[in-house]
Amino acid sequence: MTGTGGGGPASGPQAKGSASPDRRRTLDPGNLAPLALWLARELGATRVAIAEAVVLQGGAVQENWRLEVESEDGAHPGRHSWVLRTDAAARIPLSIDRASEFAVLQAAHQAGVPVAGPIARCADPDVIGAPFLVQRLAPGIAQGRRIVRDSRITEFGPPLAEELGRALARIHAITPSSVTLPSFTLPMRPAAHAEVQRLRAALDTSADPRPALEYVLAWLDRNAPERRPLALVHGDFRTGNYLVDDGRLTAVLDWEFAHWGDPAEDIGWLCARCWRFGADAREVGGIADREPLYRGYDAASEEPLDRRVIPFWEIFALAKWATVAVLQGDRYRNGGETSIELALTGLMPPEMELDALDMIENIEAQGSVPWR
Amino acid sequence: MAVKRISAETLIELVSLTLQTEIMPALPPDRRYTAAMIANALDIARRDIIADGDSALWSLLDALYPEADGTAASLVADIRSGRVSDASQPDLRARLRSVVIAELKVRNPKFLAARGIVA
Repeated sequence: MTGTGGGGPASGPQAKGSASPDRRRTLDPGNLAPLALWLARELGATRVAIAEAVVLQGGAVQENWRLEVESEDGAHPGRHSWVLRTDAAARIPLSIDRASEFAVLQAAHQAGVPVAGPIARCADPDVIGAPFLVQRLAPGIAQGRRIVRDSRITEFGPPLAEELGRALARIHAITPSSVTLPSFTLPMRPAAHAEVQRLRAALDTSADPRPALEYVLAWLDRNAPERRPLALVHGDFRTGNYLVDDGRLTAVLDWEFAHWGDPAEDIGWLCARCWRFGADAREVGGIADREPLYRGYDAASEEPLDRRVIPFWEIFALAKWATVAVLQGDRYRNGGETSIELALTGLMPPEMELDALDMIENIEAQGSVPWR
Repeated sequence: MAVKRISAETLIELVSLTLQTEIMPALPPDRRYTAAMIANALDIARRDIIADGDSALWSLLDALYPEADGTAASLVADIRSGRVSDASQPDLRARLRSVVIAELKVRNPKFLAARGIVA
């Protein structure tokens, strides 16, 4: 997850459209036999042939490959275009492993969330060099910059925002009492405090001390909403992480930051200024006003959305993206990966810090926080 | 006409300009993003050379730590523990804002301009 509404590493907002051609990769497209053998065994097929493996754009945290697969017999006979997801060469500590991601995908699929259907997962690091999962390839584009700059965005944006609202409501209908997710822990205290603590813990590993970010986290901790519902939170639900085909939502992608938390966290992330790809006036991820999003959500949710709490989670979103940018920079600073994209992302935290400080200023000027 | 010195700053400016006007248009589309990142990195480096360093941060650290033993890391720890707060330093938020604006003048002046802040 890289890129920002204000200006990404290439001074344009979106980095999900980037493939760094020379980066060290896990999957070796010249040696696909072990993967084909593993898939055949996993799917109960007589034989699996992989005609092609092409690296897909985007994903600084994960590596995504399109696989052209032909399976004889088994669970998925015939020809398929699938996606293989594995960890990039260096990981950041906020993301879940592929086994957990697969379980979340299955739960979301069953709950009626549009996702690229899960096919198989492999925990054995020896097959391709790291654990991975395989999903169907869903149609559409994800690049935020292309979506928000589409000449028809004012036509398809509002109904798309409504679809996003419905998808979010279905995600948030998944609760700790309805689904067991391995390796997911329940927060021991209000989710907002737990999330702030996760960011602090991640920043403690960093070589780049950020006083403004720490101030924002202290403010969030002091003003955290209490007594909120607990549900599955996607954790990275924003423009750039869902597929749009002819103006329609086809799949919600990138579940690697999923966790139990406050459902409003996803709304704040989607609406945060850092994810509008420069289309600041369209507050839902640069695609539409908030009303269609909220309408779609309320129509599909048993619990109406508490709109008062959303600004808290928008400030949290800015702090979280600033934290992730710090950690991406550490991947460069600590010598793991020599990537200009990671180095430039590591310079981005003050962008989110400024917007967060100004949101705090506006809320403080009102005299009291609206959600407490 | 004033004579231009061929300094580090002007060289970086020239390299960035040449990259953007002469090289980038000739690149295949899948390499243009990388080239745009290089141009952005060069522009940041040029502004970093002529910027006034971390003066906003040092002025804040001087105000908070009269013994001159403060660092960004110690300020982070003190904000975390509550030793430094709006209560102990009423203009803390405004001064932190100045620190990030000073960084953005180097790192992304367009971001500031989009918020009506002149770099």
